[in-house]
Amino acid sequence: MKGKIIAIHSSRGGTGKTTIATNLALNYANNGLNVALLDLDFRAPSLFSVFSKRIKTPVHWLNDFMVDRCTLEQSLIDASECFDTRGSLLLGLANPTLEAIRKVTGRSRSWEVSAAKKLFSIRKTLFDKKHIDYCIIDTSPGIQYSSINAVVSSDVAVVVVTLNPVDIEGVKKMLSEVYDEFEKKPWVLINKAYPQTRMWSSIKRAELAGQIEKVLEHPVIGVIPCYCDVLEPKNGTFLMMGNPNHPFFNDLQEVANKLEDM
Amino acid sequence: MALQGGPENSNAIDELSIKLLLVKLIDEVDKLNQKLDLIIEFDAKMLKIHKELLQGNPEQNSDYRTLKLEPDMMTLLSIPNSLRKTVIAIYKLQEATADDLSKETKRLRAVESASANQLVRLGFVNKKREGRKVYFCINASEISE
Ligand SMILES: Nc1ncnc2c1ncn2[C@@H]1O[C@H](COP(=O)(O)OP(=O)(O)O)[C@@H](O)[C@H]1O
Ligand SMILES: [Mg+2]
Repeated sequence: MKGKIIAIHSSRGGTGKTTIATNLALNYANNGLNVALLDLDFRAPSLFSVFSKRIKTPVHWLNDFMVDRCTLEQSLIDASECFDTRGSLLLGLANPTLEAIRKVTGRSRSWEVSAAKKLFSIRKTLFDKKHIDYCIIDTSPGIQYSSINAVVSSDVAVVVVTLNPVDIEGVKKMLSEVYDEFEKKPWVLINKAYPQTRMWSSIKRAELAGQIEKVLEHPVIGVIPCYCDVLEPKNGTFLMMGNPNHPFFNDLQEVANKLEDM
Repeated sequence: MALQGGPENSNAIDELSIKLLLVKLIDEVDKLNQKLDLIIEFDAKMLKIHKELLQGNPEQNSDYRTLKLEPDMMTLLSIPNSLRKTVIAIYKLQEATADDLSKETKRLRAVESASANQLVRLGFVNKKREGRKVYFCINASEISE
């Protein structure tokens, strides 16, 4: 089997991209698949904060790979042991220091062309050398170079949307102006759905999905309710390992299965 | 949907669906118009650059620099669909002959060849000859911080 690159995207911030990307990666790795999780949100890096309690500060960041200061392999951190995953879990992190973020702003268009070329070239290392099954990319929200580069170079894109009308309108626009133009067929994932959807049967959730499908004219891969207890301190950064019996992970498992079946 | 009612009712439904169709049509025409505008604007830019190049010393003209075209994703959003498809295929394959492109896009080799050569003229793509084969690749300057 050849690996797949899955980009997790959204129209706005705070929809749950990082949460979903991270837990999807952990889910696959726990199930014995080899996974790479990349943070391509160079302007607002988040994966380092998510993992910082468990890993050392990397010697090389993905930023270094993007400017040819190291190879992709050198910028990947093996986190399989500290998470005790059955498959390998490799992390490619964006440098969260102000200095690094400052460098990202004001890049030229030719820089972005080289960056896009780099993203199209990662497959060899990931799939042939590292035997990765899934590479999951956490992107920046909206229409920005970093996210479009990731979406266009990936095999599958998942657009995370909440039921907020402004968010839905934004996603609709983005799907027709960007995804359709690049002939990308993304999956829409509804996250933070009305709290009462926690109690809904799968049939009722499917009805909601159908309504959103009609509005967005793209298929919905799943509905994840808003779980307010996510923010309780005991759940930490809301990683799968903290509280594996939380219903959020059941919902996500369904999404993971559907992505695998494709 | 099974709506009850006699012929009168179905007439109303027919009328409604025709209206909806018209609205959709106008929408599509609008979209086409916008695309045409983009193409015209794009052509005008190209014409200007060509003129400057013919008259020599384009580097001294600031317009030339700001109008310089790059195959970055935002610029790609403003070029015609058929060209965009070829650029993305070249990105994917990194280096490709018209045959390779045709396999990737499932379009005729002649279409890909014409499209790729137009991209070369636009400065998006480089062309190099190796023996009897012609390869296309994305034109990118060195990456730096
Ligand atoms: N299904 C959910 N229910 C409740 N809170 C959620 C859910 N998904 C994500 N969150 C919370 O929403 C916040 C933003 O999520 P995050 O993954 O950082 O979004 P993004 O990466 O899209 O900006 C986080 O505090 C996260 O814990
Ligand atoms: Mg995030």
